[in-house]
Amino acid sequence: MSGDPDILMPPEGVPLRFPVAGVGVRIGAQIADILITGFAALAAILLLAATDAVDGRWLGGIAAALFLFVRVPYYVLGELAWNGQTLGKKMMKIKVVAHDGGPLTTHALVLRNLMKEAEVFLPATLVLTLDADHLLSSLAALAWTVGAVLVVVMNKRRRRLGDLMAGTYVIHLPDPLLASDLSARAAPRPGGAQGFGFLSHQLEHYGAFELQTLERVLRVEEQPARDAAERARRDEVLAAIVERIRARIDHADPIPQAAHLAFLRAFYTAQRAHLEQKRMLGETRADKFHRGPGT
Amino acid sequence: MQETAELIRSSRFRAEREADWRRLEALVARAERGGVHGMDFADARDLAELYRQAATSLAVAREISLDRALLDYLEALTARAYLSVYAPQERIGGLLRRFLAVSAPAAMRRAWPFLLAGFLTMTLGALAGWALYGEDPSWYSVFVPTGLADGRGPGSSAAELRAALYAPGEGGGLAAFATYLFSHNTRIAIFVFGLGVFACAPALALTFYNGLVLGAFVALHVDRGLGWDVFGWLSVHGVTELSAICIACAGGLQLGAAVLFPGARSRAEALRLAGRDAAKLALVAALMLVVAALLEGFARQLVQDLGLRLAVGWGAGALWLAWILAAGRRAA
Repeated sequence: MSGDPDILMPPEGVPLRFPVAGVGVRIGAQIADILITGFAALAAILLLAATDAVDGRWLGGIAAALFLFVRVPYYVLGELAWNGQTLGKKMMKIKVVAHDGGPLTTHALVLRNLMKEAEVFLPATLVLTLDADHLLSSLAALAWTVGAVLVVVMNKRRRRLGDLMAGTYVIHLPDPLLASDLSARAAPRPGGAQGFGFLSHQLEHYGAFELQTLERVLRVEEQPARDAAERARRDEVLAAIVERIRARIDHADPIPQAAHLAFLRAFYTAQRAHLEQKRMLGETRADKFHRGPGT
Repeated sequence: MQETAELIRSSRFRAEREADWRRLEALVARAERGGVHGMDFADARDLAELYRQAATSLAVAREISLDRALLDYLEALTARAYLSVYAPQERIGGLLRRFLAVSAPAAMRRAWPFLLAGFLTMTLGALAGWALYGEDPSWYSVFVPTGLADGRGPGSSAAELRAALYAPGEGGGLAAFATYLFSHNTRIAIFVFGLGVFACAPALALTFYNGLVLGAFVALHVDRGLGWDVFGWLSVHGVTELSAICIACAGGLQLGAAVLFPGARSRAEALRLAGRDAAKLALVAALMLVVAALLEGFARQLVQDLGLRLAVGWGAGALWLAWILAAGRRAA
């Protein structure tokens, strides 16, 4: 594995970014799973017992089989049926993926969940039953637990032993949300009624970082302000930005307060068009210090 | 929105493709809810095709666009679509059949050196337990946990032991099965398999210890002249159950061997490769333990005759062996 642990290379060869799920969120999903399955099994048994649907002698057997099912088989079948997610993982919006970018195989899911028994359930029960009277066995249990945790913390993708063996790891599900295109709202119209014109030397000052920072500010303006105080604060920010940009690019005409937003939008569009044009010609500019490529 | 001609290049790029992306978004949402199996042919085809288009768009956008929102969206959309397109497509029934008919027996055959090591360890343990008991019967209480011994020990008379061997289990068959599922040997099998990763030794030690228990237990009964009876009592489920422990041990050994001797590969890679067969061994062991539990729960109480007990136990053993040796040879 090389470089960024968040990058997964699918067979198409276009690297995709999946943020690696941390230990905390995975423990959360595990606890959610245990609670869900535990209560479901308990409820099923109580229902059977209350309705006298089955003979009392069979009840013990059914209970045992159910509690066996909610261990390894539930996780394997859940991840198979829901493509790498159990109910707990769905709640936490995390998911198992194959380490090499290929599809999840049955084998991988079986293996990682078989190891869960030795790696998650066993240490968890051992920690709950630590006992100072049995010093030796308690120390062994502690060592095992620490070992299991260390494996996870020691690698970049937070894989536990079962993940290492199965060739999988756990990611956060990305959420696709398409915001509107800011440049489409204020295309440069030099000399237009409200248009602002920029000369190319005025656009030489900033890089991609500043552009995308400005984009974030303009995105905030997409939503209406909640109250007058917020409106006033936003106006202050806009005014400050406009002044900084004007000073930097030697924009002589003062901008009336009502036109601040229109000015920034126009500048954003012009600056983006300029930087993208430069990029096509092979000159990438990351920020105002002229640092070269990077995002 | 302005006319296309007025837009800057990256906005035109976006405007031309946005409809496709939206459609892909809808298809992905459907695939995530109902699975690709529930979609008709045209939609499934479009999903795969639009995904590839989106991946291309993402690669292009990374080069030409500085619109952070667009990049983030395309990144997330392509990632979600990737997950749907590469979801496992097999149905669970088909998986089970393939596992039983082909892959499990093939994995068992490939793992024969480890299986041999597992069975040998258990046998050695049993011999050692036997020999130690012969030297001094008090070893018995050292090896055999009290819960398992059921009060049977060096102090018991032959009549008590015989009664325990032929006792009609209390509480009926399924109750015995239930208590059994969580009992001693299932846990041992899990331990043995999981421990293998920590460099083989713990798996071997546990299997050896299990052999010691067995040896001492048999020696006690032989000492009281109940050799054949205990053999029959153990055979009913023991053939299946002890084999399951040996198989779990073999799976653990396979993992441990990969950690100890990874060869030219990295340890993680070796562990991954070894895991392919080891997981199948663990599943076979689990299956055998369930069968053993059924045999113990029902057959041992119902079948009281010594000859029949032997036939049931070793018959099951022969069936397992036949399955492992014969099944799936043609397909594999």
